Amino acid sequence: MRGKHRVIVSTKRLKYEFELRRNLTIIQGNSATGKTTLVDMIRDFVNNPSGTPVELICDKECYVLEGTLWKQQLSVISDCIVFIDEGNEFIRTVDFADTIQKTDNYYVIITRESLPSLPYSVEEIYGIRTSGRYGTLKQSYHEFYRIYGANTYENPIVPEIVVTEDSNSGNQFFEQVCRENQLDCESMNGKSNIFHCLNNHKNKKVLVIADGAAFGSEIDRVLQLLQERKNAALYLPESFEWMILNAGILKNSRIREILEDPSEYVESKDYFSWERFFTAVLIEQTKDTYLAYAKRKLNPAYLSVSVKKSILEQMNKIQLTGMDR
Amino acid sequence: MLKIFYGDMKEAIYNTAAYFKYDYEDEWITEPFVKEMIKDVDQSIVLENGVIDSPVLGKIPPLGLSGGVKTLILVAFEKDKIFNASTCGDNCAKWLLKIAENEDRTINLRHLMRFGPEPFTIHILNTDQIVHSTEELVSIAGEFV
Repeated sequence: MRGKHRVIVSTKRLKYEFELRRNLTIIQGNSATGKTTLVDMIRDFVNNPSGTPVELICDKECYVLEGTLWKQQLSVISDCIVFIDEGNEFIRTVDFADTIQKTDNYYVIITRESLPSLPYSVEEIYGIRTSGRYGTLKQSYHEFYRIYGANTYENPIVPEIVVTEDSNSGNQFFEQVCRENQLDCESMNGKSNIFHCLNNHKNKKVLVIADGAAFGSEIDRVLQLLQERKNAALYLPESFEWMILNAGILKNSRIREILEDPSEYVESKDYFSWERFFTAVLIEQTKDTYLAYAKRKLNPAYLSVSVKKSILEQMNKIQLTGMDR
Repeated sequence: MLKIFYGDMKEAIYNTAAYFKYDYEDEWITEPFVKEMIKDVDQSIVLENGVIDSPVLGKIPPLGLSGGVKTLILVAFEKDKIFNASTCGDNCAKWLLKIAENEDRTINLRHLMRFGPEPFTIHILNTDQIVHSTEELVSIAGEFV
């Protein structure tokens, strides 16, 4: 499945309206905001085809996945939107992550737990709010709101340490930039180590660079840790490959079109996260050119002064001291 | 005191809504402090006969309460059980502290619930440490969620 899909679920008393943009959406937030009621309404609509007071409008079929037979249920669901309420322990398993990776559905999961096996974006974690009455006076209107905005953690800092989540090309790029500016650069070997690193460097100015497209499972605890600290910043582009594509280095109108609306291009069955999609696009678009991109080893062409400058210019509010920018 | 084990905990009851369904007792719902919790978290009024008047859903039975309130009620009345309190939002935090004010309660959390800016006393079982502020709590408990 690809694209954006609007879902409208309503009864006489309630109306929910929201749009899904990626394969994985998480709903959390305060108690009593209507998360479980939303899933109950969808379940009632699906299970009572001969008649139900629940109305569901969507260009895709919607289902509720639950219980110990989740895997069997999922094997017959394709090109659909799948809702999972809290209380389903299977969402935390690697088996679940492996299974849904091979499907072409979109998933809406209600949970406050972090799910490190799933690469969900910080931008696709929502709460539900009631924004007043709608239509008849009896009907209350519920909509999603984004819990974590895109650029809210970019404190204006000059870091002493730059932390990246893995040791691939992105890390190699920032390692070189740091070397040129006499800064430390540490690779975390996985996003789940970032919290521990920040906890250990409480008195240092730290800049964390991670893939926003898959940082959803870490964002809450990392942000809570940083809340009291003015000496740390979190920079969360979709991914390093997205930074390159967005830097305008590749003069290519197709790339601009993709970046303007990635939802329309990312096939969920092929790409579990947008990070993987942007990597594939970059590899494809630079193939057989001097900028030929490889994930594991950085092509030195990306370290040339002009290319490097274009990539780094996207990091608003963050200064890497002494750099020729 | 409120005792919390962070992260996976085998002996904790994970699906609290399912547990509540077959465990709650009518008298629990009409206890004054439960009425107060329901009013605060669910913005609903418990009527004399235990029916609940919800501004959104109309008249509902206790099974129609929010997952957070169901868990709070279980924590309050099932003293010897440990429940997954990650089914509670931050708007339930003050009630967890209140329930454990005079009697020990142990809960399991799989996320960092926000207990607010006021000083509190929480025993983190993973490290056997007692903390009094969010800053202290996050830096210790964050390692386990």
